[in-house]
This record gives sequence, C-alpha cells and structure tokens, in this order.
Amino acid sequence: MTPHFFASEKLNIVLPTEAIFHIGPLPVTNAMLLGGFSVAIMLGMFFYTATMVKRGRTNRFVGLVQWAFEGMYKAVYDIVPDRTMARSIAPLALTIFFTVLISYWADILPGVGHSISWHGGELLRSLPTDLNFTIALAITSMVAVQYYAIKQHGLMGNAKRYLINPLKNPIGAFEGFLELIGEFSRLIALSLRLFGNAFAGAALLAIVAGLASYAASAVLPFFMAFELFIGFIQAYVFYVLTLIFASLATASHGGSHDTAHESAKTKEVVAA
Amino acid sequence: MTYLFTQFASEAAEATNPVKALGIDVKLLVFQIIAFALLTWLLSKYVFPVLMKAVDDRQARIDESNAAAADAAKQAAETEEKLAKLLKQARTEAADIVTTAKEEAAGMLAKSEEKSKVQAERIVAAAHESIDKDVLAAKKALHNETIELVAQATEKVVGKTVTATVDTQLIADSLKAVKA
Repeated sequence: MTPHFFASEKLNIVLPTEAIFHIGPLPVTNAMLLGGFSVAIMLGMFFYTATMVKRGRTNRFVGLVQWAFEGMYKAVYDIVPDRTMARSIAPLALTIFFTVLISYWADILPGVGHSISWHGGELLRSLPTDLNFTIALAITSMVAVQYYAIKQHGLMGNAKRYLINPLKNPIGAFEGFLELIGEFSRLIALSLRLFGNAFAGAALLAIVAGLASYAASAVLPFFMAFELFIGFIQAYVFYVLTLIFASLATASHGGSHDTAHESAKTKEVVAA
Repeated sequence: MTYLFTQFASEAAEATNPVKALGIDVKLLVFQIIAFALLTWLLSKYVFPVLMKAVDDRQARIDESNAAAADAAKQAAETEEKLAKLLKQARTEAADIVTTAKEEAAGMLAKSEEKSKVQAERIVAAAHESIDKDVLAAKKALHNETIELVAQATEKVVGKTVTATVDTQLIADSLKAVKA
C-alpha cells in the first residue's frame, strides 16, 4: 500500500484511470483525486475573490482573478449576439473554462503523473486525462445547448431543425439528418479533443522525464510551459465551442448571414 | 522503450470491450455529470453573480464616464465656438473703436491745429499792433526830439529862446521870403 516515489524505471502509460479506493459502489480514481483538489482550489479562489469584491476590498490576486473573469465574461457577449442568451449561458461556459483550465494546469504540479506510483499506476492524474470527465463535460454542454434551443424555439420548433418531411423538402430533410449526426459528432469531438490533448500532454511529460533522466529538471520546465499554453488553448476552445453551439442552436432559422458568420467562426476555432 | 509503443496495442488486444479499454465507466460518467452540474450551480448561485455585477458596474461606470467625456468634449467644442464668435465680435468692435478713435483723434488734431493757428494769428496781430504802437511812439518821440533839436539849433542860430510866438513869426517870415 506504500506509494513508490520516482518509480518510473518502467513507464506504464494507460488510457483508463485507476481506482485508488472505493466509496460504496463508486470507484475514486487517481484523476478524481487530483480533479477534486483542482476544483477545491478553483472554488477557494473564486469564493475568496467574490467575498473580497463584496466587501469592496482588493489585492493583486483578486485583481488577477477579476481580470481573467472579466476577459472571459466579456468574450461571451462577443460570441453570443443575444445579450439575454449570453447572460444565461455565461455561467456554464465560464465554469467549463475555469474547470478545464485549472484541472489541466494541475498536470504540472509536483507528484502528478509517474513521479508517485500506486500499485504500479499513478497516484495522481489530471482530470482532463479521464475520458469520463471530458465526456461528462461534453454531455453537459450539449444538453445545455439543447435546453436553450428548446427554450428559444419550443420543443417542436427545435425538433424541426432535425426532422424535416423528405417529401416536401428532400434536401432539407437530408440537412436535418446531417444536423442530427452533427450534434453527436460535436459531442464526441468535444470530449475526444480535450482528452486527446490532455492525455498526450501527460504522456509527453512522462516520456520526456524518462528520456531526459538526470537532465529532466532542466528540460521539463519548457515542456511544462508548453503544457500550460496548450491547457489554456483547450479550455478556451471548449468554452468558445460551447458558446458557438448554443448561439447556433438558438439563432433564428432565417438568419442565414449570422449562421454563416458563426460557422466561419466555428471553423476558425476548430482549425486553431 | 519498446514497452512504451507496444503497451497500448497489448492493452487494446486484452480488452475485448473498446469502451472498457478507453476507461469509460457509466457510474463515473454519471457521477462526473452530477458533480459538474453541482459545481456550475454553486458558482452560478454564489460566485458569478457577484463578479458579473462587479464587471457590469464597472462597465456602467466606464460608459457613464465615456458619456460624460463626450458631453464635456461637446461642451468644450461649443465653448470654443462661442469663444471664437466672441473673439471675432471683440475684434470687430476693437477695429470699430480704433477707427472711431483715429477719426476722433484726427478731428481733435484738426481742431487743435485750427485753434493754434487762430491763436498764433492773434498773437501775431497783437505783436504787429504792439510793434506799430512802438513805431508810432518812436516816431512821435523822434519827431519831438527833432523839433527840440531844431529848436535848440534855431536858438543857437537866432540867439534867443524860441517860443511859440517867435517860432510862428519865423515861419511867417520864411514863408514871405519864399513868396517873394
């Protein structure tokens, strides 16, 4: 049961997360351990900032958090043209951004990855390297998008985006079918993109640490800085795509210009 | 090193279920969805409203300041326009005043010149009068002196004091002699 420190004589990179212990029927995995820690850090940071803002007090840390929050909050209004819609979807998008960012960045903390092993596996692993987490995020995001679309167009109005009578409009019916497939492909793309990047990043750090051996202390910081950058990009992409999907789903069907604009924006973000 | 590249293949071969091979667990998935929804609710309820309000308030203050700055700029432009108008008016008035002053000065100068001329003429006339008087007085004095000299000379010639009677007699004699 004792953890082995620096036990990477043989790297054991595995896709699934490993259960460290169980709470009833629920396995608590290594990703959930570090994820819980990351979320606790994020909650602490936000509650502290909110309390300080409420009291009208500030310091450099509060200013930094406010600056980051303000930048992301204002970006919501830039992406979603409808202000009411933007305000209602902003909490979800912001939670996604900050959760992904903090939990992704936790990957470079000391002790994470292969530096501390537990029964041959990792004791701590960053949350985005757990496919369950990325799928959970993607499902939440897509369900929220559907919720806002139904709220905007009504249940039948939203269904008409996908189900069109092929006898009246065969091309429209095919488009609707593609749109339906698109919703699922978006879900898969969102979850696999984040998981793939995070897992590849973690594997890269482990391999570089193994290859660099004693020079790891000099080499790893560069890769860690790169991981921080990729973490930000991935969090931003997830956040922007959630907003764009919500914006597209709630846009009126007649607004072809807006839709084309949003599609171009989506393509730009996906390409990035 | 070979282990690194072969382990995924071996794991995939071992796992008959691809969902299991990727580590997808329905219980974990549901738990994470609930946990994330809870986190979103918690932040949306207690944290984001405060931060959003702070951002909105700051934005409102910035908008207000921008509006005030725009108003101030407008007022400054209006004031500048007014100032320019006033300056133009003041310049026109100043030009009028200068013209009037010049005209008045010219008038005063002309009047003064005329007055001076009159005064000079008066002085000259007075001087002339005084000189005439002096000349007249001098002539009279000379005349008297001449008469006196003539009288004295005549006295010397005649040998007696020439009085008016004698003088008249002499004049009459002289006239007689001339007539003869």
